[in-house]
Amino acid sequence: MPWLDALVQGLLLGGMYAQYALGMALMFGVMRIVNTAHGDLMVLLALMGVSLAGALAVGPYVVIGMLVPIAAVLGWLLQRLVLNRVLGNDPLPSLIATYGLSIALQNLMLQVWSADTRSLPGDGLEFDSIALGDLFVGVLPLQIFIAALLMSAGLDLTLRYTAFGRALRAASADPEAAAITGVDPRRVYAAATALAVGMLGVAAVCQSLRATVSPADGPAQLIYAFEAVIIGGMGSIWGAFLGAMVLGVAQAIGFRLDAGWGILSGHLVFLAVLAIRPQGLMSRKN
Amino acid sequence: MTAMPPPLPWLLSTHALDARYGDFQALFGIEFSIAPGEVVALIGANGAGKSTLLRSLMGLLPVASDMVRFDNVQVGGCPPHQMVQRGVAMVPEGRRLFTGMSVEDNLRVAIDQARRPAPEQNVPLWTIERLHALFPILKDKRRTPVESLSGGQQQMVAIARGLLSQPRLLLCDELSLGLAPLVIREIYAALPGITAAGTAIVLVEQDVALACRASNRLYCMLEGRITLTGRSADTPREAIARAYFGAGHAVA
Repeated sequence: MPWLDALVQGLLLGGMYAQYALGMALMFGVMRIVNTAHGDLMVLLALMGVSLAGALAVGPYVVIGMLVPIAAVLGWLLQRLVLNRVLGNDPLPSLIATYGLSIALQNLMLQVWSADTRSLPGDGLEFDSIALGDLFVGVLPLQIFIAALLMSAGLDLTLRYTAFGRALRAASADPEAAAITGVDPRRVYAAATALAVGMLGVAAVCQSLRATVSPADGPAQLIYAFEAVIIGGMGSIWGAFLGAMVLGVAQAIGFRLDAGWGILSGHLVFLAVLAIRPQGLMSRKN
Repeated sequence: MTAMPPPLPWLLSTHALDARYGDFQALFGIEFSIAPGEVVALIGANGAGKSTLLRSLMGLLPVASDMVRFDNVQVGGCPPHQMVQRGVAMVPEGRRLFTGMSVEDNLRVAIDQARRPAPEQNVPLWTIERLHALFPILKDKRRTPVESLSGGQQQMVAIARGLLSQPRLLLCDELSLGLAPLVIREIYAALPGITAAGTAIVLVEQDVALACRASNRLYCMLEGRITLTGRSADTPREAIARAYFGAGHAVA
């Protein structure tokens, strides 16, 4: 049973990683914009959520309801004020701009929230579990997993079947051709980044319920999101979900082998995928 | 040169249009006009400025607002997505389809963003069905990713995508480039069906004979300037050759 338990816990952990990875799948996988401030934005939103919950004495669902619109506005501003100015075939300008933003955000968060670790009280939600045969499954991780599943489905369907999704895919394939077909690429990009960061609002609340957050946590979360997107395959939303599952399971099994090996075994699986199938698990041949 | 015609009948006209890429001036004082339903050919050697002129009409190159009038409104420098809303669409050089997307999704992008003409204008709208009648192959290939189509099929998708914007003016850059003669004939055979509904077409074309046959009027460009304009049917070949190669060159 311990391995089945590790598998289940790994999938549930993967649900958390999928939530970080979805915004990354949209920005990096589809739009080909490297946003190295992705993790820091998540931490910023998490700390804002903790403060909001403390100040207003509201529960986690209300915090999600308040945080997602704030996150979407932050994403829209990020694209309008920073990323739309560095668009082009070269990914380096966006990498440098967001790297600078990442450092600035970390220092800003240290100033405002200090280096303490914080978490969001879940009104007992974090201690509930249900028994599945011999396994005990946490209610909160299960909710996080289901939320990740629903968000992946929603994002995938949005990209495939809505006018916005088609315009975004067109603008990502060829911005100039999209513009002569009536798409305003900058507006579509701003909406897409608002969506990507908006989803981080959900991830931020889940992360601060499930574990703790502190201002320097961003880069580690960024790595998980990158790894999930690359394991799954660029441009594929379900690929990013699958990549997050692979990462979660690899870490959970690693933790079972030795408490020090968890994070490492996730990275090793990532490197193995890069070596064996560099286009990712769900990418079309290319 | 004839006297300036009254401005009203023109769908699009340029006045003293200059365009530059950084420090390099690519167009000099272009006077170009096209009437509704007209096919105008734009010929000239490589680097003469044909594509640059087309790009500045589409809003892809910055020009001063008074240099381009469309429907009697100054539109110079309007971004391309706004030009689409006014009724200008483009079939760009090299097709520039949205790779990774199916034929149908490529066309749906244009449908999603299309201009909505006023109903009282009473022009038949382009629909997927009408385009399937124009290019039947698009129906069989509608689920196919565009990158696996042949060049001719891709060109048909590019034309269909342009038409689904419901343009009043379609700018076509090198429709025949890299295509087999039979395919070129099929594509050019579709043009009368497009202009019949009042849509005007600018054809940038390397093949001068083809351009003359397919158009009502022609402009010839050389080194960023218009060197000749006239009716395609009765412009002498020698005049075209002089305008095409410049006065200093021997006429072949």
